[in-house]
Amino acid sequence: MIKKTTHINDPLKLLEILPTVQAPIPEYLYLATSNARCPKAEIFIKEGDYVKCGQQIGIRHAAFFDQPIHSSCSGVFEGYEKHYHRSGKQIDFLKIHNDFKDVWDESVHTRTDEEIAKMTKAEMTEIIKQTASVGLGGSSFPSYIKMQTDRPIKTILINGIECEPYINADKRTMMEDAPKLLEGILFLMQAFNCHDARICVKAIHTEIFVYYNYLLSQDKYKGITMSPMKNYYPQGWEIAMIKQATGIDVPSGHLPSEFGIMNFNSSSVVGIQQAIRENKPVTDRRVTVTGNGINKPANFEVRIGTPVRYLIEQCGGYKNPNMPKVFILGGPMMGASESDEDCICTKTVTSIIVLDHVEHKEEACIRCGSCVLSCPVGLQPVTIMNAMKHTPVDKAKIKMLNPLKCIECGLCTYSCTSKIHVTDYIRRAKTIARLK
Amino acid sequence: MDSKVQFIKESAPHIRRKDSLNRMMMDVVIGLLPVVIFAFIAAPLAALRNLLVSIATMELAEFIFVLIMNRIPYDGKKYTFKDHWKNAISKYRLSNVTVPLVSAIIYALIMPSYMEAGYEYLMYVALIVGAVFGLAIGKLVFGGTGNNIFNPAAVGMVFAKACFGSHYVYFQPFVSDGGQIVSAGATSLGSDFVDIASKSFLTDNYSLMDLLLGRIPGLMGEICKVAIIVGFIYMFIRHTIDWRISASYVGTFFIMMLIAGLIVHGADNSISPFYFATYHLLSGGVLFAAVYMATDPVTSPITRPGRVLYGVILAVCTTFIRLFGSLPEGVVYSILIGNMLTSVIDYPKWSSNKFSWKNILWPVGVFVFFTLILVWSLCVEVL
Repeated sequence: MIKKTTHINDPLKLLEILPTVQAPIPEYLYLATSNARCPKAEIFIKEGDYVKCGQQIGIRHAAFFDQPIHSSCSGVFEGYEKHYHRSGKQIDFLKIHNDFKDVWDESVHTRTDEEIAKMTKAEMTEIIKQTASVGLGGSSFPSYIKMQTDRPIKTILINGIECEPYINADKRTMMEDAPKLLEGILFLMQAFNCHDARICVKAIHTEIFVYYNYLLSQDKYKGITMSPMKNYYPQGWEIAMIKQATGIDVPSGHLPSEFGIMNFNSSSVVGIQQAIRENKPVTDRRVTVTGNGINKPANFEVRIGTPVRYLIEQCGGYKNPNMPKVFILGGPMMGASESDEDCICTKTVTSIIVLDHVEHKEEACIRCGSCVLSCPVGLQPVTIMNAMKHTPVDKAKIKMLNPLKCIECGLCTYSCTSKIHVTDYIRRAKTIARLK
Repeated sequence: MDSKVQFIKESAPHIRRKDSLNRMMMDVVIGLLPVVIFAFIAAPLAALRNLLVSIATMELAEFIFVLIMNRIPYDGKKYTFKDHWKNAISKYRLSNVTVPLVSAIIYALIMPSYMEAGYEYLMYVALIVGAVFGLAIGKLVFGGTGNNIFNPAAVGMVFAKACFGSHYVYFQPFVSDGGQIVSAGATSLGSDFVDIASKSFLTDNYSLMDLLLGRIPGLMGEICKVAIIVGFIYMFIRHTIDWRISASYVGTFFIMMLIAGLIVHGADNSISPFYFATYHLLSGGVLFAAVYMATDPVTSPITRPGRVLYGVILAVCTTFIRLFGSLPEGVVYSILIGNMLTSVIDYPKWSSNKFSWKNILWPVGVFVFFTLILVWSLCVEVL
């Protein structure tokens, strides 16, 4: 088919209107000592120590920022265990034996409205830094670095688009935590001294629009508006979202803040609200467990550190266990597939998708141009692929084709008529283009 | 928990569009069905012969190609012929059947139905020679499906015509004695179709309705325009072809012929330019080529502006060959010329999928430039 892929159908669409289930908290929780951005960690506690919920038990070090580690339950620290991280690496996890009492740390306290109203941006940034609020859409980029910008911010965009199929974490957060989300937006508007915040949601989600239009009619939420988005993939990509919401085209290599725009994921805003209002780190997040390899798909609210295997047990296990499966943490278009189910839910795991593995037979490329039509950044994936197939690879030509613009949305592979894994070629081209 | 579940690691994305090469090729075949059905109604025996011979030849050529290309490479060991055969057969795929099938059907439909009396056997020779040449030189020497520069059907047709063209006879279906054979070398576009100097215009014979329904002499695939339009609608709905190529080809061709008609017949008002342009559009192979041949994805550009430019180039070539060339039919030649220019259009330095001023300027520039040449040369001849 010579056709531009506009949106990707979700075979389990019903799940997005089903409420979130509070997943039972397992006996052992595991906290990552390092993650993709922070390779080193420093742990403050010893084996046998009693930790409280929300207590800072360590700190992860990265090249230019630190990220505190907080316990997500109260219990006894029982040493380290190796598990798979989302990135596919086996790393050390702190094993905490849950005592099911949820004793909160002393640092967690509710702030009054007056206290918050007096806060400056620097104070809020410090709180967000101490509570380790990160981008919960999957990037795990620390929110405080975004907050540190000195540029004047005219518009705050709240990303609730979630364009990948199967994932419902942000949608359910928007429906179920609406007061928290709106309060978080008010805090951010106060911090940046900006009077324009827009919540970007796909126009097809009528229920969110009806609900929020009702909420936003209240006086205290003045300045917050809803911004309907088209049902495109990858509309959740920040540059596509900014383009449609404000009409500003942010060139690649520039930050949105240079154009007076600051964007946050909707789940992250809820995390920021909790941090500022209650000084509480993110201990829970919403995770969708779905796919045609799962018996009973569900939206869960899980504690950070819950083993994925435990969640799959809650869903009734695998459907057709004899068939080979693909186990994905994240969305089906950009998420990483894991070779083992022994993974842990970290802050960045938005969904757990188990699909039956389908073997795709590659055919010859017939230059139908579907990848070129679909590419959201205007590259020519087929030309890059053909350039990569040449040996030796012509580096100058690869650089001319500009593969570094690619955002790896996966649309070229998705829409390929001949089932060629075009995205793989482009990833390789990117590594070549990065060489000097 | 059953720990035996096997997990396969693969890189993202993990889902694919419901779509395949074979389905796309079968869509083209379905899109060709109205034309094939018409050919069977118009000249059953000729259609059967053309289709059978060309399909068999092209499939066989592709099969032999697969056998040759998939020999076990030399690695010191000795392999028997059976090993080579088994290895080659294991590489033989469904797409090795469907892709030549499309080429073969198109090729069969643009070959003539009969040879002149006394040379009937030559028809088989012409079909086989053209099919083998078209598939081998037009596609296989470049490396098979996806790597070819030229449209295999067009290459085969041109070669067969170059070799056996003097014996071709075009037939006209649905006349009193059913499939009457008309004189050699004449389609509805006779070589003196538009004799510009004498301003004669052979339109008395065929009305536009005849042209639409196929009551004209010509190649059996090209004459029934209604069947082609039905096929186009099907393929358009299924997204099998890019409508930009067809639209820009047909649109540019129509406008250029309109201008030509205005100049040639404008002074005496004998024929309305609209009639002139419509007649040109509905006669010959313009519509067939615009729908089935120019849209061949392998040999056409990949970007949207490039596809528009490609259609404009085809239309310009067709117009000039029709009006000034010695050939009555310019469509196949213009497609081959367009195929040659595809890689230039696709050169990544200037090709882009987004419509920008530069991109729009190219098709418009080509169109304006050649229209001016057309006007100038027609004025020289007429005035």
